[in-house]
Amino acid sequence: MIVAEQKPLEAIRQMIAPYHRVLILGCGTCMTVCDAGGEREVSFLHSSLRLIQAKSGEEPHIFSEYILKRQCDPEFIDLLVDKVSDVDAILSLGCGIGVQAIAERFTDMPVLPGVNTSFMGMAKEWGVWDERCAACGDCRLEDTAGICPITRCTKGILNGPCAGAKNGKCEASKDMECAWILIYKRLERLQQLEKMRRYYPPRNFRAVPRPRRLVKKVSVGAGESDG
Amino acid sequence: MYPSTAKDANRYQPNEVTKLSFDHSLVPPCQAACPLHMEIREYIDLVAQGRIMEALQVIRDGNPFPSICAYVCTHPCEDACRRSQVDKSVAIRALKRFAVEFGGDRRVRAEAETTHSDRVAIVGSGPAGMACAYYLRKLGYPVTVFEAHSGVGGMLRVGIPQYRLPREVLNTEVQRLMQMGVEIRTNTRVVSLDLLSDMGYKAIFITIGAHQSLRMGIEGEDGPGVIDGATFLREVNLGLKPSLGKKVAVVGGGNVAVDAARTALRLGAHKVSILYRRSRTEMPADPVEIEQALEEGIDIRFLVAPVKLNRRNGQLSISCIKMELGEPDATGRRQPMPIKGSEFNRQVDVLITAIGQAPQTPSDFRLRIGRGSTIHVDPVTLTTNRVGVFAGGDAVTGPATVTEALASGRLAAFRIDDYLQHRYPRVDKEMRAHLAGDLLPETIEMIRKIGRLEPPILPPESRMEDFKAVESVYDWSTAVNEARRCLRCGMGAEIVSQDKCATCLNCIRVCPYHVPRLDVNGAVQIPVEQCLACGICVAECPAKAIILRKPYDQRQVTDELRHILNSAEKSKFRPFIVGFCCQYGLFGTGTLANLWREAKAGIWIVPVLCVAKVEAEHMLYPFEMGAEGVFIAGCGEQCARENTALWISQRIGKVRKMLVQIGLEPERIRGFMLSSTNKDIAQDLDKFVEQITRLYLTSTIVEEVKS
Repeated sequence: MIVAEQKPLEAIRQMIAPYHRVLILGCGTCMTVCDAGGEREVSFLHSSLRLIQAKSGEEPHIFSEYILKRQCDPEFIDLLVDKVSDVDAILSLGCGIGVQAIAERFTDMPVLPGVNTSFMGMAKEWGVWDERCAACGDCRLEDTAGICPITRCTKGILNGPCAGAKNGKCEASKDMECAWILIYKRLERLQQLEKMRRYYPPRNFRAVPRPRRLVKKVSVGAGESDG
Repeated sequence: MYPSTAKDANRYQPNEVTKLSFDHSLVPPCQAACPLHMEIREYIDLVAQGRIMEALQVIRDGNPFPSICAYVCTHPCEDACRRSQVDKSVAIRALKRFAVEFGGDRRVRAEAETTHSDRVAIVGSGPAGMACAYYLRKLGYPVTVFEAHSGVGGMLRVGIPQYRLPREVLNTEVQRLMQMGVEIRTNTRVVSLDLLSDMGYKAIFITIGAHQSLRMGIEGEDGPGVIDGATFLREVNLGLKPSLGKKVAVVGGGNVAVDAARTALRLGAHKVSILYRRSRTEMPADPVEIEQALEEGIDIRFLVAPVKLNRRNGQLSISCIKMELGEPDATGRRQPMPIKGSEFNRQVDVLITAIGQAPQTPSDFRLRIGRGSTIHVDPVTLTTNRVGVFAGGDAVTGPATVTEALASGRLAAFRIDDYLQHRYPRVDKEMRAHLAGDLLPETIEMIRKIGRLEPPILPPESRMEDFKAVESVYDWSTAVNEARRCLRCGMGAEIVSQDKCATCLNCIRVCPYHVPRLDVNGAVQIPVEQCLACGICVAECPAKAIILRKPYDQRQVTDELRHILNSAEKSKFRPFIVGFCCQYGLFGTGTLANLWREAKAGIWIVPVLCVAKVEAEHMLYPFEMGAEGVFIAGCGEQCARENTALWISQRIGKVRKMLVQIGLEPERIRGFMLSSTNKDIAQDLDKFVEQITRLYLTSTIVEEVKS
């Protein structure tokens, strides 16, 4: 799941300052789950924005709220068409993908990011999320006992641990587990310690062309039959 | 959620789901068990908030004579109460009595207008007849009640002893009936129904009760020194003082037997014993009554049955035999079997037989009689074999409870109305589903155990002097605390729609009772039979996909807040502080009321049904409306629910963070939670108000300097 954090109120205020009528647009999927842009956060932000403009006495914006089930799919975005006719800007509480998807659909509409998309991760417990995947496109978790060194090692090294590991913790932070120690321990449990002996050549980051596109559908030419 | 301060806001309101406006709550087990189907959960909740008048209103809506039931109801609701799975059932009857007495039921005037010309005769003024008269009057019929005895009330007057039902209570209800225009003819025994028809009565309701005592069928039963329980109680209740001598024995195990024994004791008998042929577990009398009888020194002999009565030189003696319990019979009770050779004699002055009663319907009524001399009726329409003649109460069911009789009388009133209006009888259909299923052990484990609080009763010594009521009424705080034990079954949280649910699992993580769970399809389910309606998940759901099944509980905070802010806007007192105060428990017992009274001008209190339902947004909103400070006062450790204080601090934390970003001091919002000891929060509150006043003054000065 994508995890994000709402931007500071001041940043949001500055962003929306030039626009009179602003639609606060929530997202009903990842942003709801990570408490950054679901219906509750949309109305809390709405309330906060109204409060701050009441306090500052500046010319009031006109806010509206709407929640899309998912901002990253064109069919859902279609539902927005009649909601945006009378707004000057959309403040999207979707992740970076949502913001771009909305911007792509409404070519003349400024779309502002209300959250900082942080990482792909999982819930540790109520209100705590941890990063787990960097979407490198070259998954090697089978060799590292299901623990990703790219995300969980501060250095992202493929052949660890480095010399900074101390008592199983990372030198960068005493609270952070060393990913490679975790990998070692888990390989030991799985009786696959021989995997530690392998050398992983450095990854060629330049080989990953961005932006990536995934095509699942098969191209079927006109007039062609299954034969 | 709130109207924007900005003009012409083109707001979309995702909360406007029609589902919110329906009562989705399930019928709780107490209500299902009540013959009158009273809204018990509702009035208990109102008592827990200290809203006694409203509680009485709810009670009166479902019960024509609540003050009578408050004394003598056998409370099947308490047997069904699911709190007994946790510790002990809620003392529903005693709470009703509290509501009736503190709510001022005595002063409630019942009025009725006559809108129909068809007259209805009611034969018998017992609870069924009174209830029927009450509802027929409400429907606008002229009603005449015929009573053979000198006093109105049937078994309520001639059967139930005064120490269980003070006669003032009964008299008040009778007077109220007369106020409504019910004509009551006492000392009038109806001998012929044809005569009533000739007198112009279009419908007749027969509710003659079951006053005929059953015979034991043993030798010597018909002779001096033997009296049947119903006759004995009737004589005592009508003011006679039958001479009893010193030693009295009562045969039987029902309420009449216990009533007779306790009455005999109060008439001066020195030694009163009850002979019952089964054991205490099988004894049909109310366990509380049995307990009180034992306290008063009544000797209950279990597994003993009389076989013969002997009289020698004017001295009565009973030959008894000891019994043992055999196989269960058709009713499920174990059948007593005599033990051979265990006979013994017992000398008594008077023997009271109380082994059951049956109705005695005059044959001139020409009614079809069914099992046990009861009148045969259609169970849905209460019609007898004669046109326009209906029957109900004990006369139809055999000896039953007051509440059942009231329910039967009410039903008869509606059916008679149908009959007189030439309507096909509309059978009541319960539209709402009943709550089924027990609490799970993991839910029970998490529920705070709070012992049942009983109303005070007179000590046994002072009870026996006369016939004064044994049980007293709760005091205010005990009643409120007892009512707070209600688990609010069947009104818990539900997911508005699975589409709205983001399956974030927050509800599963925040529920103190481990109620929400994932089904096999990965959807979140909140089993209604487990949920205790604390409201934490409702306020924590990021998709706002969870609502409470009672629409009032859902809207309450928002509605109250809006209402308060509207009135506060007009006031000029500064600083302007909004406090969310729990209405349950201690606050319900008067702390809240004191806060209201003593609150300095400018403090506005939003009563909430547990602070767990106050969302972060609610806390922020007053600031937008110009409030200088907000506080939340909850029951903390005294809360009947778990974790409420924890979640309130979470939300306060969130709001504080936002206040800082907005440029307001985080101290402007505070939570006050009661500790386990009864601590006065007024002092803390004073300090808070002082602090806010200072902040207010500073900000005013700063603003003035600026300008």
